[in-house]
Formats: sequence, C-alpha cells, structure tokens
Amino acid sequence: MRRTTAVSAIAVAATLLAAGCGVGSKSSSAAANKTVATTAALSGSITFQTWSLKNDKFTPYFTKLISDFKAAHPGTDVNWIDQPGDGYATKVTSQVTTGSLPDVVNLPPDIAHSVAKTGNLLDLKKNVPALETDWVKSGLSAYNYQDVDGGGSFFAFPWYLGTDVSYWNKTMMAKDGLDAAKPPKTFGELVQQAKVMHDASGGKDYLMSRAPGLSDIANTGTKLLSADGTKFAFATDQAAAMLDEYTAAFKAGYLPSNVLDNSYEGNSKLFSKQEVAWTTGGGNLITSLKQDNPSLAPNVVPSPALDTAPLYVQGLSVASKSKNLPLALAFAEYVADNDNQVAFIKLAPGFLPGTTASANDPQYSKSDGTPQGDASVIAYKDMQTAVNFTPPIWTDAMNTILAQEIAKAMTGKESSKQALDNTVRQANALLTQ
Amino acid sequence: MRSHRFYTPWLLMLPALVWLALFSVWPAINTVTLSFTNVHQLTGGHFIGFKNYWLLWHDPHMRDAILNTVIFMVICVPMLTFLRLLLALLVQRNIPGIGFFRTAFYFPVIASAVTVALIWKWLLDDRGLINSLAQSMGFVHKTIPFLTDRWLLLLSAVALTVWKGLGYYMVLYMSALGSVRRELHEAAAVDGAGTVRRFWSVTVPGVRGTMILVSVLISVNAMRVFGELYILGGRTGGVGGQDVSIVMLVQQAASGSDGRLGYASAISVFLFFLTAVPLLFLTRLNKNTLEES
Repeated sequence: MRRTTAVSAIAVAATLLAAGCGVGSKSSSAAANKTVATTAALSGSITFQTWSLKNDKFTPYFTKLISDFKAAHPGTDVNWIDQPGDGYATKVTSQVTTGSLPDVVNLPPDIAHSVAKTGNLLDLKKNVPALETDWVKSGLSAYNYQDVDGGGSFFAFPWYLGTDVSYWNKTMMAKDGLDAAKPPKTFGELVQQAKVMHDASGGKDYLMSRAPGLSDIANTGTKLLSADGTKFAFATDQAAAMLDEYTAAFKAGYLPSNVLDNSYEGNSKLFSKQEVAWTTGGGNLITSLKQDNPSLAPNVVPSPALDTAPLYVQGLSVASKSKNLPLALAFAEYVADNDNQVAFIKLAPGFLPGTTASANDPQYSKSDGTPQGDASVIAYKDMQTAVNFTPPIWTDAMNTILAQEIAKAMTGKESSKQALDNTVRQANALLTQ
Repeated sequence: MRSHRFYTPWLLMLPALVWLALFSVWPAINTVTLSFTNVHQLTGGHFIGFKNYWLLWHDPHMRDAILNTVIFMVICVPMLTFLRLLLALLVQRNIPGIGFFRTAFYFPVIASAVTVALIWKWLLDDRGLINSLAQSMGFVHKTIPFLTDRWLLLLSAVALTVWKGLGYYMVLYMSALGSVRRELHEAAAVDGAGTVRRFWSVTVPGVRGTMILVSVLISVNAMRVFGELYILGGRTGGVGGQDVSIVMLVQQAASGSDGRLGYASAISVFLFFLTAVPLLFLTRLNKNTLEES
C-alpha cells in the first residue's frame, strides 16, 4: 500500500512539474526575423525537400537544376530529398519537432502557417528586397499570416500556381439533351442543367457529384472571416441559401445517393468512370485522363470554373534554423526565379509560375488547338482572377466539422442555417483552444 | 552454493523493463501530463488545469462517441465470446477437410485493412452486392442505407468486427476445450443430458476461465474501436459524424499540423478510466469464479 502511494505521488508530482513547466516546442519569432548576410560567399551543403516530385517526369529537371547551381557556386552541395504525397503534414510536423526541417522546403500555405507559428520559417520580406515586385501578390499573400508577426512577413516564394477548370463529358451531355459547348457558368445554371440530365436519363446520369465545401460558401459572396480576420463569420443567409439548393438537389436525386458517405469515390473518379458528366480538376486533367481512360479523353470539353475559380499555391520556404542560411536562401531564390519556374511549368501544363514576369506572359494564352491546350489557356485566364479561399487559420479539424454539418443539413437532420451556425461556433471555439 | 546473486533476475529482466518504461510507462505519464496543457502538434503549451476535461464534457460529439463505443462493446463481447466457442467446438472435430474450414475461419484475421475496407464497402454500398440482390429479388424497393443510417452503420461495424475477429481466439478455445475431461461428458450423457445441456453444464464451466480472459480482451479492444468505424464511416465518422467512437475523437483532435495534443490526451485518459470499468467487473467475476471452483 505504502509503495503504491509512493509511486502515485511520484507520478502526480512528475505530471504537475512537467505541466507547470510547459511542454512542447516553443515558438521563436527571433529566428524567423533573422537578417541573412546575402553578400557572403556561398559554401557548404544544404538539404532541399520537395513534395511528391521525384519521378520520371520531374527528376531530370531537378537533377539539372541542382547541378547547374553547384557549377555556378563551386564548393556547395545540395542534397535533394522528396516526400511521398500522403501524410506530408505529419512528416513536416515530425521534422519540426525533431529539429530536422530541411533547409529549403516545399510547403503549401496551410502547413507553412503551422510551421511559421513556431518560428521555424525565415521571413523572406526582410531578406529578399525584390520579393514583392518579382513574385505575384496572390501567391505571396497565401504565405502572409495575420496571427504571425502581425501579418508583416512572407514565409515562402510562390513556386507554382494552380486552379480548377471545369470539364464536361460531351457524349453524356448530348445524350441527355445538353450542349457541352454551352456549359453552366454559375451554380444556379448547374442545378438547372443537372435537372435536365436527371429527367432525360431517368435518374441514371448525373451532372453534379459532390457535396459543397468552403469554396462554395465563399462563392456566394460570403466573407469567411470577420472584418478583423480573427474569427469565422460565414453563417450568412446567402451561404444558407446555397446549401438549401444543394439539399434540394440531393433530395431530388440530381447527385449520386452516396455522395455523403464513405463509399463516395470523388467526382474526378466518377467522371473518369463516366458515371457523372462534370468534374473540376487542375489544368492538366485531360493529360492524366489519356492514361486513366484513353477513350474518354477526346470527349472532354474544358470550360472556366463556375463563379470565381479557386487559387492553389505551392511555395518554397527557408528554414529559419538552417545552419547555412545564406546558401539556403540563395538556392530557394534560384529555384523560384522566373527562368527556372518557366522551365518547370513546361513539364506541368495547366499550372503557372508564381513570378510576375510570367503572370502576364502571352505565351500561356495561346492554345495548340487540342482540348488540353484549351484547358491550359482557361487555367491561365482563370488564374488572373482566382482567389485562395481557404484562410490560413482553417484546419483539418474544422474541415471535418464542416463536412459533418453539411451532411446533417443535406440529410434533413438540421436546417442549412443551423448547420452553418454550428460550424462557425465550433470552428471559432477551436481557435481559442 | 548460491545459484545467483540478488541482481541476476533484475539483469535478466532489464531489457524488458527498459522497453516497458520507454514505451508504456513514460508515454502513459506523458499523456496524463499533456492532458493538463494546451499543447498542439507544433506549438508549445502551458498548464491549463482541468480545462481539457471541461471541454471534453461539453464536446457535442462526446455523447455520441460514448454511446457508440458502449453499444459496440455490449454487442461484441457476448457475440464474440460465444460464437468463438461454438466455432471452436465445430472445428475441433477431426473430419475430412476440416483443415480447410479452420483456415477459412482464420483468414479474415490476417486480411489487410485495405482488403477488408474494399470488400465491405462493395457489400454495403447503395449499389453493393447486398442492396443489388435485395432489390433484384424484390425484398426491398429502396436501397438499405447501411453506410448512411447511424444505427445500420454501427451494426455493420459490429458485423465486420465479428467477421474479422471470429477466428482470432478460436485457437485459444480449441486448446481449452482439449482440457475438458471426456469422462465428464460421458457421465453427463449417461445421466441423460442432451447436447445442449452438456454444452451449458460441462463445456462452458470447463472453459469459463478462458471465456473470461477472452471477454476481457474483447472488451478492451471494443472500447478502443476505430478501424471498423473508420473503414465504413470515413474520417467524419459516418454521415454527420454520428458514428464516431472515442478513439476516433482522439484521432480527429490530434491529427494535422495543428492537432490539439492536450485535448487528445485528455480524451485518452478518459478512455482509460472508461475501459477500466468493464475490466474491473470481469476481473472480479474471474476472482469469484476461481474462489467458487
């Protein structure tokens, strides 16, 4: 008994001691705000991490990129590592907590936000004078966070930009009395044409095939954040009306019945299987389709995204705790410069460089006459007005809550307004935890 | 002659003790520690007292998670305990081809999670095998919402668990059945006991210790249910999140680069105490059984 009491006391004491002292990694804005001596001669080695880019298509590009850099800077070395597509956030998280974040690292805005909060990313605004003139504003703003240094920093070079293009199956549409040359341009038109397809096919064909998300809410004109940007405020009447329309369409059978459950394969997969006639995807979807479903690819017609197109950004960040900051910064700037981004994008049609020199380059507005060429041009045009809808404070947990509440609304368990109110309330509660 | 010095047993146990301390004791203490902080995946936290436990109490999904987990346990424990015993009784007979059936019953245990997910989604989907058969044979006119109805999804998860776990302790039961003396069965038969009576009066008392052990293990596993509900309900825990389990809430809270480790730890500590209740009950039952025998 006495031994048990002693062990318990030690455990409780250790618990309270550790709890009282604080645990976990500490943020350090001092590291992020370092000024790097860019005039120093470059030497030594760094590690460069990409995300799912080591493959037959991109490896030759990166190998040449690195060897050219090393030739221009004798005495330097770059160790290139690549992480698989799945679980990237977890991998980066473990790299941060173990102090092994690569010197130059490819990060999307949401992961960069989490890392920047810990002070592990270098503020580029302080170290790259031409940052705001040479790289596009929309890309930079994705790496500018109100809750980190008061929004006065940029934590990545915009590396490559993407958006969504709408793709239509013209054979399915023609069969059901629709014209792929006149596709819907707004959500309202989409619902109307979905009804036509449903009625003409006896409920066997679908035009709509996904539940709404955050971008659909933003596309109603709803501002996702409050005026001061510190909390969510998207439970508006417009957003509720949009969700009401989705709910009515779901009940009428215009969407596949499994769109809310776990057997749903995603609209892109259903499009590839020719079970639905509309999907959204990156500017290079037709090229991918030629491999997945070669007979479908010639029947696909691209058109601009409905309403406002979403902007997807990838960035190159520099680890603030790098042991070779001058080399890391120089290499990141070199990889993200206009020439190297243009060469990179040639391998990935449908994407656009994140540099201002390329943003208005007319070469991207010329199609070669193929559907893929047309899609690339549409993506280029869409990107001029595309918006990064997802606020950096939006997390995975909030996304799960939104999906749960939208499913409740669409299955009639609560009203659309209630669902949005619940989402906003729970998401705001998470911000304070 | 002394056979060993006083520290010899400790030296022999040292590797296991180090392993235990590093991977069981320290994580357990650390979990309790974290549960009193607001630490996130990447940002350090500080002591916040019982706030995580207060949040847990007011979590809108916690009531569903507790209810689902308890229902899951209450159905799974008796089903798996008795069905495994019956299965062991069936396959212990030495008849031609019994090896095939023993392998077949054990096969789901070693099937990969991905395979299991594909099979069960293919069975239960709106256009899956069960719905297609039921509709083509005229049993139902509308699809049965196995993956969208809260209770049907939970029962489907129970069915998946029973199917996948049936063969696991069958081997343990087969060993226990071998130790039930044949003379007892013969004596009971002479006294006029039929098959059912002999099962309840001879077989079950003979393997009661094994049954309690198996029940304990099933209870612990049932309280930690995650994979089966995740396979069928996805990351949201079914449509609207009504099929979440307690472990699923831990996963949801801790995942992502912004994961709330402090809150996830508090749920884990709560789950530990919740699991201890059936464990203590079954341990007491076992103790009473031993004393009676």
